[in-house]
This record gives sequence, C-alpha cells and structure tokens, in this order.
Amino acid sequence: MSVDHTMPILVVDDYKTMIRIIRNLLKQIGFDDVDEAADGSEALGKMREKKYGLVISDWNMEPMTGYELLKEVRADEKLSRTPFIMVTAESKTENVIAAKKAGVNNYIVKPFNAQTLKSKIDAVFGD
Amino acid sequence: MAKAKKVHFEEMRDFASAQTKAEPSFAEVMKLAALAAESMQSFCESMDATTYKELRDIAHYIENMKQEIGVFQVNDLKESRIPAAGQELDAIIKATEDATNTIMENAEALMAADVKDMKTYQALVNDHVMKIFEACSFQDITGQRVAKVVETLQMIEARVGRFAEAVQAKDVQGFLDEREAARAKRAEKLLLNGPQLAGKGVDQKKVDDMFSDD
Repeated sequence: MSVDHTMPILVVDDYKTMIRIIRNLLKQIGFDDVDEAADGSEALGKMREKKYGLVISDWNMEPMTGYELLKEVRADEKLSRTPFIMVTAESKTENVIAAKKAGVNNYIVKPFNAQTLKSKIDAVFGD
Repeated sequence: MAKAKKVHFEEMRDFASAQTKAEPSFAEVMKLAALAAESMQSFCESMDATTYKELRDIAHYIENMKQEIGVFQVNDLKESRIPAAGQELDAIIKATEDATNTIMENAEALMAADVKDMKTYQALVNDHVMKIFEACSFQDITGQRVAKVVETLQMIEARVGRFAEAVQAKDVQGFLDEREAARAKRAEKLLLNGPQLAGKGVDQKKVDDMFSDD
C-alpha cells in the first residue's frame, strides 16, 4: 500500500499552535487535505461524517483523550481500519505499550520534525 | 496517686469489714462518705496536676504553631505571591503562543512568497526574517518571568519544609477534595503522565524499536 497524498487527514490536538505546526509540516511533505479537531469526541464526530485516510492525534486532551479516541475508533466497525498515529509528549514506556495494545499504527514523541512525521506516515502505509 | 488511692480504699475496706450490723448508722454512713470523699479528693488533686501539665503542653504547642503559621506568611502567599506566580505563568503561555504564531505567520508568508521578482522577494525575506528575530525576544522576558515563579516556589518549599518539621507532619493518604480525587483517578486510568524530563521517558528511537518488534 503506497501513500495517497490526496487522502484527507484529521489532526486532533487541543493546542491550536500544534495543529498549525502539523498542518504546515504535512503541507511540506505533500499533504494538503487536512481537517482538525480539538479533542477526541470532536474527532469521533468528524470521523463519522467523513472518511479519513489517516488520523494524527495528540494523547492528552479533554474531555476525550487521544487514547480514548483510539479505543473508540478500533471498537467501531466502520472506523476500525483507519490508520492512526499518536503524536504526543507522553513518553513513558507504559503509554507506548498501551497505545500499541489499543491498536495504534505508529507513535511519535514530541517534539518532532518533518522527517520523523514523513517516515512514520510512510511506515504506516508500507512505503 | 496510686498509693494514696490504695490507702483510702484499704481504710474503706477495713471500715466496712468492721461493721456487723445489717443496717449501718448515720454516723457510719457519714464516716464512709468522708473516706470516699477523701479518696476522690486525692484522686482529683492528682488528676488536676496531670491535666494542668497536659493543657499547659497543649497551650505551648498551640503558641508554637501560631508562631510557625505566622512565619509561613499564609496570607501573603495566598493573596499575593501565589496569584502573582499564576499571572506570570499565564503571561509566559501568552508570550510563547504569540511568539510562535508570529514566527509561523512569517514563515508561512515566506513559504508562499513569489520568487519571480528577486528584488521584491529579497525585501520580503528581510522583512519577515526581521519579524522572526523580533518575536524571538520573548525568550528573555519569559526567562525573567520563570525566575520569579521559581523564586516563589522556593519560598513555599522552604516554608512548608520548616512547618512540616515544626509540626512533625506525617502524610495522610487520600485527596484534598473530590475534584482532586477525580483528576487523579482520570490521570491514572488514561495514563496522563505528561512530558518526561530528559532521560526519564522513552525517546523516538526506543519507541521505534518497540514498534519494530512486531
């Protein structure tokens, strides 16, 4: 499976500046169709309205965290196959293990750069 | 105290044993009452001294606590220093956010610039780069704000330490209120550990290793 640069991507973060950074980095690596959500519940609503090729989510948000969003997505028959990358400052081993167990496709520790983001997206899509 | 009581009780016992009549006389009852009163008086006197000492110790302890609480300067901390530290932190968040947005706006403008006319492009680059430099000055001001917050924290740490030592404080398990308990429960359940200090958490390489184990 190769990366489709036209796919819509949903970026989930409660910090607007981080969404802006990720949006710019995605633009730099060739992805222009980017939507945003401020927490897991807003993201879940958007995912039920529109089919996304990839979700890039922060972990620590209120009221619904990225971890809860991941579990909701994986439990939802229609959404369960959506690729999901966690981009977070949560860098304890238990966080990575829990996310992996919950079905995350890849995990990026903040702060990160465009190259890391690109390599993880490539890895998710098998490039 | 125990010796005095024993003497009085022995006297009462001997007195009672010596009585052979079924109905004691008024004089005998009075004698017994006098012995009992004497016994109680001795007991009460002894108890008064102990109680007095204990109350005096408590009063001394309370007086010390009042002094320690005074040294703590709770009102100054509560009404002035802690709110001021909160305001400094709010200002830091605002300054870093403003600076980041300014830097990003200028970087985005550079990325979107038309390069056909080199002279115009050069002027535009100079203008935006200058604005980025200016925005970076937030670091100096936020550094000074952080120093003020650290000073307040150090002051609180010193006073709490002294107070804890003075009262020989022992930690009680649990939470201050339901809100605090709910937050802690949520953080534990959802693994909200927050950013780790350098060397404490896993870095990207370690994360990548964990994902390559599949």
